[in-house]
Amino acid sequence: MAANYWDSTQRKYWTFTKQQLAQERRKNEEADRALVQQFPLPDRRLLSIHFNHQLCKLARPLSVRQQAIATAQIYVRRFYLKVEIRRTNPTLVLATALYLACKMEECPQHIRMVLAEARHCWDTTLTDTSKLGECEFSLISELNSQLIIHHPYRALAEYTATFALSAEESALAWSIVNDHYLTDLPLLHPPHVIAVTAIFLAVVLKPTQGGLGVSAQGVQGVLQSLSATMGQSSPARGGGAATSAPGTPGGSLGGGGGAAAQNRMMGLVSWLAESSVDIEAVVDAMQELLSLYEIWEQFTNNLCKDQIAKFVKARGLDK
Amino acid sequence: MNQPSTNTPILSAGSVPSAAASARATQAQALKNSVQAAFNDPSDSSQAMFAGYSSKKCVNERYRIIGFISSGTYGRVYKAQGRHGQIGEFAIKKFKPDKEGEIQYTGISQSAVREMALCTELAHPNVVHTVEIILEDKCIYIVFEYAEHDLLQIIHHHNQPTRRAIPARTIRSILYQLVQGLLYLHKNWVMHRDLKPANIMVTRAGKVKIGDLGLARLFYKPLHSLFTGDKVVVTIWYRAPELLLGSRHYTPAVDLWAVGCIFAELLSLRPIFKGEEAKMDSKKTPPFQRNQMQKIVEIIGLPTKERWPLLTSMPEYSHLNGLAAGNPRVSRPVGLENWYKQCLKNNQYPDGQSPESPGADGLSLLQGLLEYDPHKRLTAEAALSHPYFTGPMEKPSENCFEGSKIDYPNRRVSQEDNDIRTSSLPGTKRGGLPDDSLIGRPAKRLKEG
Repeated sequence: MAANYWDSTQRKYWTFTKQQLAQERRKNEEADRALVQQFPLPDRRLLSIHFNHQLCKLARPLSVRQQAIATAQIYVRRFYLKVEIRRTNPTLVLATALYLACKMEECPQHIRMVLAEARHCWDTTLTDTSKLGECEFSLISELNSQLIIHHPYRALAEYTATFALSAEESALAWSIVNDHYLTDLPLLHPPHVIAVTAIFLAVVLKPTQGGLGVSAQGVQGVLQSLSATMGQSSPARGGGAATSAPGTPGGSLGGGGGAAAQNRMMGLVSWLAESSVDIEAVVDAMQELLSLYEIWEQFTNNLCKDQIAKFVKARGLDK
Repeated sequence: MNQPSTNTPILSAGSVPSAAASARATQAQALKNSVQAAFNDPSDSSQAMFAGYSSKKCVNERYRIIGFISSGTYGRVYKAQGRHGQIGEFAIKKFKPDKEGEIQYTGISQSAVREMALCTELAHPNVVHTVEIILEDKCIYIVFEYAEHDLLQIIHHHNQPTRRAIPARTIRSILYQLVQGLLYLHKNWVMHRDLKPANIMVTRAGKVKIGDLGLARLFYKPLHSLFTGDKVVVTIWYRAPELLLGSRHYTPAVDLWAVGCIFAELLSLRPIFKGEEAKMDSKKTPPFQRNQMQKIVEIIGLPTKERWPLLTSMPEYSHLNGLAAGNPRVSRPVGLENWYKQCLKNNQYPDGQSPESPGADGLSLLQGLLEYDPHKRLTAEAALSHPYFTGPMEKPSENCFEGSKIDYPNRRVSQEDNDIRTSSLPGTKRGGLPDDSLIGRPAKRLKEG
């Protein structure tokens, strides 16, 4: 429930292992094999970035708060876990998810406003509120009416105070939480794990260099410390994404303040070791995020847009 | 005034008219069909996916509708049985589309969305269990476990002139279970916001279940102040003073005030603060509920800033002074203690603390619940550890009918559901009988603005 993630439908029905997720998606793809082969799509994370851009574009003129956008992203991700995307009009699904999320997050928008803004900023052919209303039925039905979402923001706010993060670090951690909605992480780990992960990354990333300034060395260091904490000496666990991250600015952790930052990090690591937070999950989340930042380099909005338009047009899904 | 007799006919076991039996049977069958018709929608969903939503579950295929239970601003409730061996009986709430006879999807109301989400998420023995939710043919159906009774019906049953008060142990068990359910809701950051006798269900086995989460919502750090969403909450007689005084940031304490009102009503068999609702003016600004506030003040006296420090910062504070003018009952209130003693005497509860009487502990609990200052008012948790429940007597029973020989009539279920699309008055309409709002129950609530 709202206060109690552990009894929530999110934990009971919408948290999976990677194997379960892969299996579910394989099952869906096999059911629509011809369709999937006929209309190739970019990596799911790139599509998610595209969706996020679209949602933010729609949300801005409506002054929708971030938490409602996040809820909408989760609805979309859950929905496409159950319904093959090539059978849907993603534009309609996005608009509907935001419309529904606004109601759940107590910042309701009129259906006509959502539709009007969608037409205005997405340049879509959506004209009929009843389409949105109908899609809302599909969405709620596929989501089994399980619409209450536990976000990492609350835990993040608590940890920010606990660890006395600077304003920059806190802002960075917040945007890392925003980024995790572009990955499968919301379907894999509890929200507090994401919050912890965001804080770790915020402390090693360099806020001054702007959003994505990943310090490969710093992250590598953290991953190793965490692995050590887990009592696993295997370097493979900490390696992977971080070391091979190309195109990320190098440089040592925190520039001149390396030693202080290092101490800070060790403090976090030992806090984590003593807490009941699943360290393995934190490491996994960190790697997922790093590989997101890596693949982000390849993102072009138009590619996603075109490939979606292909199946939508060919199948007349926007009619 | 306040004669309970106006209420008595409502739930008395209806006498069957002695018309020709066969004609009646035919008619009954026709009506039965019309009840069933409420679940048949002529529009089909033969279009392909994304050109059309089609439900995987069909309410008619899964349930057999037995009859109509009640209607309100939200829609209608029907009694049903499972067609596939589902255990027990069910109450199916069919949400009314925003506009009657709506043939297009218009978007689901926020309160329906909230109710669906909360019903799916919540699970507690003292909260009505949701079996499933079916979205079919532009309609939303929430399937609940069926409860044979509710507190309004129990109060009405005792209200008849020949009957006596509700046994003290029944009241104690009801209240204990009610507050346990409420504690669960509050622990999960859910405010009910519409507690009243009609919304508290009681099963045949004496289990109390909080129902109707149509106004309930989460209160953890709302994005908007609670005031902006729903201008007015809680049926007027059960509305807490901070709401009457226009508080914008109210708390779960509003539910505890309602529990206090319900406790008083169980004891006295009539609403303790039976005010008249002032209607919304044309500008849609909620008016000051003078009459309701007056009813409260006449019994427990005017609130003071000594007892309620934030009183003077309430938006409608200025109206309070005007209440006393020319009204001796305001300047010389009855006092809750006197009201309580009189009530116990009238209803022949014996003196002193015993299983047969709520005694002094009952008064103390009632005072704790009907406390003006929401910060001082008992919380659900504190109420549960009140001596009324934890004192030397045995623990309140999990079955509120334990030790009671009273046989409450079953819920009236009618076949007179002439036309689902047109005939729905607001208010808590009960099977086959006049709308409650017509005989003195206030209209359920205003829809959110």
